[in-house]
This record gives sequence, structure tokens and C-alpha cells, in this order.
Amino acid sequence: MSLNVDRASMAFSFKGGMLPMTVMELTSADPERIREQLAGKLSQAPAFFQHTPVVLSVEKLDEPHLALERICAVCRAHKLLPVAVRGGSDPVKQSAWALGLGWFPPQEIKPRVLESVGNEAPVERVADEAPPAAIKGGRIHRGTVRSGQQVSAPEGDLVVVGSVNAGAEVLAAGSVHVYGALRGRALAGIHGDHDAGIFCRELHAELLSVAGNYKRLEDIDPQLLGRSVEVQLSDDQLTIVSLT
Amino acid sequence: MAKIIVVTSGKGGVGKTTSAAAIATGLALRGKKTVVIDFDVGLRNLDLIMGCERRVVYDLVNVIQGEAGLNQALIRDKRVDNLHILPASQTRDKDALTQEGVEKILETLTKDFDYIVCDSPAGIERGAQLAMYYADEAVVVTNPEVSSVRDSDRILGLLASKTRRAENGQEPVKEHLLITRYNPARVDHGDMLNLDDIQEILAIDLLGLIPESEAVLRASNQGIPVTHDNDSDAGQAYTDTVSRLLGEKVPLRFHETQKKGLLSRMFGGGRR
Repeated sequence: MSLNVDRASMAFSFKGGMLPMTVMELTSADPERIREQLAGKLSQAPAFFQHTPVVLSVEKLDEPHLALERICAVCRAHKLLPVAVRGGSDPVKQSAWALGLGWFPPQEIKPRVLESVGNEAPVERVADEAPPAAIKGGRIHRGTVRSGQQVSAPEGDLVVVGSVNAGAEVLAAGSVHVYGALRGRALAGIHGDHDAGIFCRELHAELLSVAGNYKRLEDIDPQLLGRSVEVQLSDDQLTIVSLT
Repeated sequence: MAKIIVVTSGKGGVGKTTSAAAIATGLALRGKKTVVIDFDVGLRNLDLIMGCERRVVYDLVNVIQGEAGLNQALIRDKRVDNLHILPASQTRDKDALTQEGVEKILETLTKDFDYIVCDSPAGIERGAQLAMYYADEAVVVTNPEVSSVRDSDRILGLLASKTRRAENGQEPVKEHLLITRYNPARVDHGDMLNLDDIQEILAIDLLGLIPESEAVLRASNQGIPVTHDNDSDAGQAYTDTVSRLLGEKVPLRFHETQKKGLLSRMFGGGRR
């Protein structure tokens, strides 16, 4: 019990964590060119620009002085939130700090470029071993996901060909599809993708969550239990729609 | 090469030891040279169920620690020729078991026997994991209640990941479902989960269904495995189970309430 009392008196605790973070690899220091490209992207993928935190990587730039403040302003105007700068000279580091941004030393290994320029903003994800049967970052799991097991697709959609039993957990950066009964916990859009959904043949889920918005079994309309459903986020509310 | 079968469940008190004893006895009665090993170090029970508690001198831990030879520890069953029992130690705990020790014992036994039945302790800790680690087949014992089904589900997950077969990427452990303490009347009443629900959740083949029966408790207390009680429903159900384990097709019995015949309905007699 004494442990609980201690915890209650603490205002905070430090926790180590690995968060997925979008890195904006700058190949030009010209704020105007950045603005143009961002405007183009915004129309292509509006869902991406939702106050998404980004790290500005200036490793590829060879300029000792950057118009960092203007670059940040351009980003914010397009609903990207620069939170830190990576790489660059000492003056760059100083101006990052002056702007209230963090600074990271340059990466020693070359970052994996997952999407080529022209598709979407280059995104770097937390290092993760490629899961088996990976398809474009997604994953297909065959068989029952049993109590105590966790199956995740950290980079895409997760398809479970089988049931997810009570006490099991399935997670995906994208959507979760269960071709069977969903009795455990299902979390879609774990990196904050609001467009992700959960689909299952038979709903008995202990917990449904899309981009952090969740419903417990208790909160689910009993009439929907046992039905084939689709779970989506609309206006930050989880909505469950019967598919039958 | 013997086939190694683990009898496991996760949850305690569902009938693992009873089933291990009954299945081992059934296999021996069918002429298979069988040894049943008690892995429940510290809570030894198998010797009682098998009725050999007065003949235990050395145990599994003694053999692992080199204090006794395997042949000194093996107890020959009084009733069936082909059956041997390797008891657990009551005075030690599960930490006394080592993976190498268990492997060595199983390797030796596999040369002399057709079947090695491992009676797993409850839980998912060391004892249970060692009991299942070397298994070729698993009999997952489940009662028709939600907590037991969930624990069995957990065990099935471990069988698919924490066994030698899983770690070496061999063919997975063959999983069988054995439902015990099934009472069709109470299932009809909604007090118990029914057979279909359990099978749907666990999604493995049904090996057998043992009805809730007075014969089981009687057998335990007498130290005679219930398989010997051929007049009882439970005894017959275990005999069926063993036949299926040997690959025979046997129709399922005891899973439906007995329909009362015309006479018993008229006179109110018959089994309830």
C-alpha cells in the first residue's frame, strides 16, 4: 500500500518510450519551395495533415544558417507541428532551441525511405522487424488468436483469418479485419490514423479502439453483439454499424 | 520412439490428473507400453489416483538430481502389466526440475515405451512449461465453464509457441480437447457452457467428453483409475477417448440428456 501512497504524492514520473515520428527530410532550405510542395500534398492526403508532429531533418542540407523560423511557420500553416530538428550545424542547433524545439544529433545509419518523394511525405517508422506474411507493411495472421497472445501490424492493416479470443489483443497502424469472432481487444489506428476501422464477422469485443477513441464491451449496444459489424470514427466518436 | 502426450489445462481442479491416469491406464489396457509422469512437484497426486502411494521410494526429482536411477523410481502398476508410474516429489518445488534433466529422462523412456503421458501441474509457470515442452501431442482438459475455457485458450497459445516443436519449427503439437465434468442436464438449463460453444472458442478437435459422474470421485478415493470401472459412464467415456487417441472413429456419447422412455415417463422412474 505504501507504494500507492508514494505514487499519489508524485506529480509525474518519467517514462522511456519509442514513439512513431514522422521525419521531414529537407532537401531544400527554401521556405517557398517547401510551401509549394506541402500545398500539393495537402490536397492529396488531407488526413495526414492533422497537427501531425514532425521532426525536421536537415542532415542533407549543407547550409550553416537556415531560415528555421520561416520553415516552421510554413509547416504550421499546413497543420504540421515541428517538434524537433535533427542534424545541422551549431547555429541551427541554437536557433532550434531558441524556437523551443528539441535537437537531435544526426543519424549515423541512413534512414529507410519507405515512400518515395511524390507519393506522400517521407515517413520514417520505429525500427521493427518485418512481420511474417507482410504485405505493404500489413500482416495476415491465420488461425485463432488466443488468450494472452498479441498480434500487431505496426505499419499497416491487420487481417486475422480466424477468431480473436477473450484475453487476446490485436493491433494495427491501419485497420483491423477479423474473419471470425472478435472476443478480445482490437485497436486500430494505433499511431493516430482516424480513418482506420475495425471489421469483424461476430462482435463480442472486450474493447474496440480507433486512434485512441475506445468503447468497452459494456458501452456497446447489446443489439450489435454477435453481429457482423464495421467500427469507424466519426467526429471523434466510435460508431458501430451492422453489416448485415 | 514413444509418443509424448501432455495432459494440461492451465486451470486447476478440472481433472488433469484423473484424465492422465485414466488415459494412461486405457492405453496400457490396449496393449501399449505406457509410462505416466507426475510433473506436479510439491503437490504430488498422481500416485494417489493410481493407488501406488505406498510404493513410492524415489521420484522424478531424485532421478533428475542423480540420486536414483530411472528404473529405481519407476513404479510398476499392480493392475495393468504395461503401465508404469514416475511419481513427483512432495517435498521439493518446481525449481528442482531442470530442462536438461527432463529431456534426459524422456530420452531414456522413449526407447522403452510406446506412450509417455505427462501430467502437468496447473498454471503456466515452470512446471507446466516443462511438462509440455517436449510433447508431441497435448490433451487440453476443459470444464464447461468460462474461466476454464479461457485458461485452456491460454495454454493452447503456449503450446503453439513454448514447446520444442514450436521452437524448432517442426510440425506443431497435435492439440486435442477433452471436456470433463459435462452435465447435459445443467447445460440444457444454461448453467454450463455447451459443447458447441466450447469447441467454437477453442477451435480444436474434440478428443472426448467425460460426463460429470460419481464414479470419478469414487475412483480417485479408491486409487483405481476410472477406466477400470467399465460399468460407469465416465469409465466408458475414457475408454472411447483412448480409442480416439489411437486413431479410431468412435461416436460421441453422454453429451445429451437421456430421453426418458415411455415406461419410465409413466412410472416416473429411470435415471435423472
